[in-house]
Amino acid sequence: MITFMNRKSLVLLFGIIFCVQNLAFAQNATLTNIIVTNTRDDLLVYLNVEGAFTEKMKKAILSGVSTTFSYYLSFYQVRNLWFDNNIEDIKVTNTIKYNNLKEEYIVKRSWEKSGPQVTKSFDEAKKLMSEIDSLKIVPLKQLVKGAHYQLRAKAELSKVTLPFYLHYVLFFVSLWDFETDWYTVDFIY
Amino acid sequence: MSNKRRKKTASFISKEEMERRKREVIIGIIIIAVVALLTFVENRIIHFGADIPVSNTILMFILININLLLLLLLIFLVFRNLVKLLYDRKRKVMGTKLRTRLVVAFIALSLLPTIVLFFFSINFITTSIEFWFNVPVEQALENSLDVGRSLYWHTEERNRFYMERISYQITTKKLLDTNNKKALSRYVQVVQREFNFNAIEIYADNATRITFALAPELEDKRFDVISADNLQKEIPPKGVRTVSERIPSGELIRTIGTIPFGSTPTNAQAFIVIARLMPPDLAKKMSSISRGFEEYQQIKLLKKPIQVTYYITLSIVALLVVFCSVWFGFYMAKTISIPIRVLAEGILRVKEGDLSVNIAMVADDEIGTLVDSFNKMTRDLRIGRDQLELSARLLREQNVEIEKRRQYMEIVLKNVSAGVITLDAGGFITTMNKSAEKMLNLKSEHILQKSYKKLLDGQLLELAEDVMENLKSSRNDAAELPLKLTIDGRPMSFLMHVNALKDDAGQHMGMVMVFDDLTELEKAQRMAAWREVARRIAHEVKNPLTPISLSAQRLKRKYSDQIKEPVFDECTQTITDHVNLIRNLVDEFSSFARFPTANPKPDDLPPIIEETLALYKEGHPRINFEFNVTDDIPVLNLDRQQIKQAMINLVDNAIGSIRNEGSIMISLAHDPILKIVRLEISDNGVGISDEGKTRLFEPYFSTKKTGMGLGLTIVSTIISDHNGMIRVQDNKPKGAKFVVELPV
Repeated sequence: MITFMNRKSLVLLFGIIFCVQNLAFAQNATLTNIIVTNTRDDLLVYLNVEGAFTEKMKKAILSGVSTTFSYYLSFYQVRNLWFDNNIEDIKVTNTIKYNNLKEEYIVKRSWEKSGPQVTKSFDEAKKLMSEIDSLKIVPLKQLVKGAHYQLRAKAELSKVTLPFYLHYVLFFVSLWDFETDWYTVDFIY
Repeated sequence: MSNKRRKKTASFISKEEMERRKREVIIGIIIIAVVALLTFVENRIIHFGADIPVSNTILMFILININLLLLLLLIFLVFRNLVKLLYDRKRKVMGTKLRTRLVVAFIALSLLPTIVLFFFSINFITTSIEFWFNVPVEQALENSLDVGRSLYWHTEERNRFYMERISYQITTKKLLDTNNKKALSRYVQVVQREFNFNAIEIYADNATRITFALAPELEDKRFDVISADNLQKEIPPKGVRTVSERIPSGELIRTIGTIPFGSTPTNAQAFIVIARLMPPDLAKKMSSISRGFEEYQQIKLLKKPIQVTYYITLSIVALLVVFCSVWFGFYMAKTISIPIRVLAEGILRVKEGDLSVNIAMVADDEIGTLVDSFNKMTRDLRIGRDQLELSARLLREQNVEIEKRRQYMEIVLKNVSAGVITLDAGGFITTMNKSAEKMLNLKSEHILQKSYKKLLDGQLLELAEDVMENLKSSRNDAAELPLKLTIDGRPMSFLMHVNALKDDAGQHMGMVMVFDDLTELEKAQRMAAWREVARRIAHEVKNPLTPISLSAQRLKRKYSDQIKEPVFDECTQTITDHVNLIRNLVDEFSSFARFPTANPKPDDLPPIIEETLALYKEGHPRINFEFNVTDDIPVLNLDRQQIKQAMINLVDNAIGSIRNEGSIMISLAHDPILKIVRLEISDNGVGISDEGKTRLFEPYFSTKKTGMGLGLTIVSTIISDHNGMIRVQDNKPKGAKFVVELPV
């Protein structure tokens, strides 16, 4: 009887803990406008993430917190009766940092060759952060005509660089983490 | 073995239970230690955290979760104990009330300060944090940031001011014309020196640098062009745009404007860039101001989370303290209440009579002393009871022994031929053996516990009191006296020994009377004496009789004819007759003295009796003779002649007792149990006095005038020669009854 009761209470406790943890991740961020297209030589992707920015995040960014969005892109050749062939895995990041002295946002996009983009407008910075434009996935010559391909994409807030002594705070309060589901785009080349 | 087992159970706490408890304690201590260690490690990591990347926080996460799990385990332990306590309470296990009280006391004791401290700490933290953020640091930081910003703003503003003028000059002097390239360069250099710019550059509308002038501090440094992108970027309404870059000698602030001033980049004929170099230390200070502000902002942003974190940490610590104290409370309650419970149970068991209780618990505190005392007490009690049991057993054995002896004595008493009667000091009869019962023809139950004073009367009471008095007063403890009694009409002769019983202190305890039946012995002795007398008399008397008789006959023969006197004849005749009479008597005597011993042969008794009766029936018509044979009479060993003689004597005697008319009844019966044939001759004559009964069978005792008194003596002799017995009783309602018993 004793063990049974205790087990029950234990289960309840764990349940509460996990529920709380799940609630922390319950921010609804989605990927939209996923477009797969091509140039003469390359397969390109365009996508936006929506609902990633919250007021809290904006406040944090304005407080000079460097914030990074990560985009995961996986390109597969879909095969029947067999595992899909993973052709390419790409991870790109967009990092934003606010310079309060000059009151400008510096957005660094890992996939762009040119240096960081500086803007005074938060909306523009937001747009820069939540967009992936014409990102090369694979050269077209790697693809087979008529084959079935699939692009899977996901975005998440991977890094918020806080002052070191505040790291541990994250364990108790999840600030503004988000992670989207995997989105897929199927097409036949 | 059983004792051992009892001892084992008496320790109340099984070995497994003890081990389990020990394990629990160890687990508890380990958990607390591990939690403390982990907390310490976490703290260390957080302090060194500057070098630890955020990805390593997974380690932290694990640590904290482990910590939480351990905390949960502690909570589990506490809850387990709590549930157990409740369960025990429900079952009304002894000691739970005390345990509950102790636990409640411990919890209250620990909870009160913990709660007070907790709320105080919360309050303290809240106010502290509020206080930190309320201090005008923010304002100061903002102001310094504003100062920094205004520095940039002023720089830009100043550049804009000059740029507008220079742009105007260039436009009006048409210095952008390809012919005036040199003039433009000169102008730029002049302007640079004039206005003390660090650098001034002119870009064509295709973003190529047409000319530039540098201050001496930049001359030997690398000085990059501004990219076309940068130049083409939209210019805010105020007409200038500033970009800055870090170079080794400081921060280079470049303000970009268009020529003509205020036109859009697409419409611009050229671009003018004025650069100002901010000294490195100033640049550093500026960035530190910026960083400081940022950090402050971030902390402010995290104010709530930090508060929450502190609360959580505090709560965890408070919970840890509470659970630790609760657990400790349980532990203490257990250590206090268990010995008491065990003691109480022990006492209960002692109350129920189980003295084998031994509480196996070693504690060095007062409870330990108590337990020791309890154990000693039970041990002493046990020893006492054992001794008691032993003595009880001994007593029982002794009692059995005594009872055996008593029974033995009783058996001995029952079987001794002498009668034994005991009296206590008050004269109450305490015991009476079978022989006494038989001799006195009494039932002991009618006599026991009765005083002799009530039982006796007349002469006997006097005699008894004399004896008592005599025994009490004299130093003699014993008295011996012959006693003649008639019991149930039978004369009995006893020799009585009376012994006073005295205890060691000489106190009178009562007396014991032992009496022997001397009736038969006396009879035999008398008989022997009489035979001797008879023999002598016969001898002495018979001798002179013959000369007397002969002399008388001679006198008669010789002088009868001469004297012719009838007197003479009468006298001689009388002498002769009486001599004959005497001779007859002497003959009778001598026949008594020399009575032939019986020569018994198997014979039937009834015909002998019938023959005897036949002799008398004719001669005594007024007497009614009856002869009854009730059973089958077996053949007996008889001397026919002697038995007939005895019968004649008895019947003669009976006839003699009947004066005129009466009846004589003879009955013959066989008692197969006693193996005797009983012959009873009863008459309804005058009967025999009590004194007569005792002497009836003695020689020369006769109630008749003519009798020699030898008839019944001879009968008695004959019967005893046949190993039989004769006795006389009163015949009811009248007369006497002779009972002859002959063995089969």
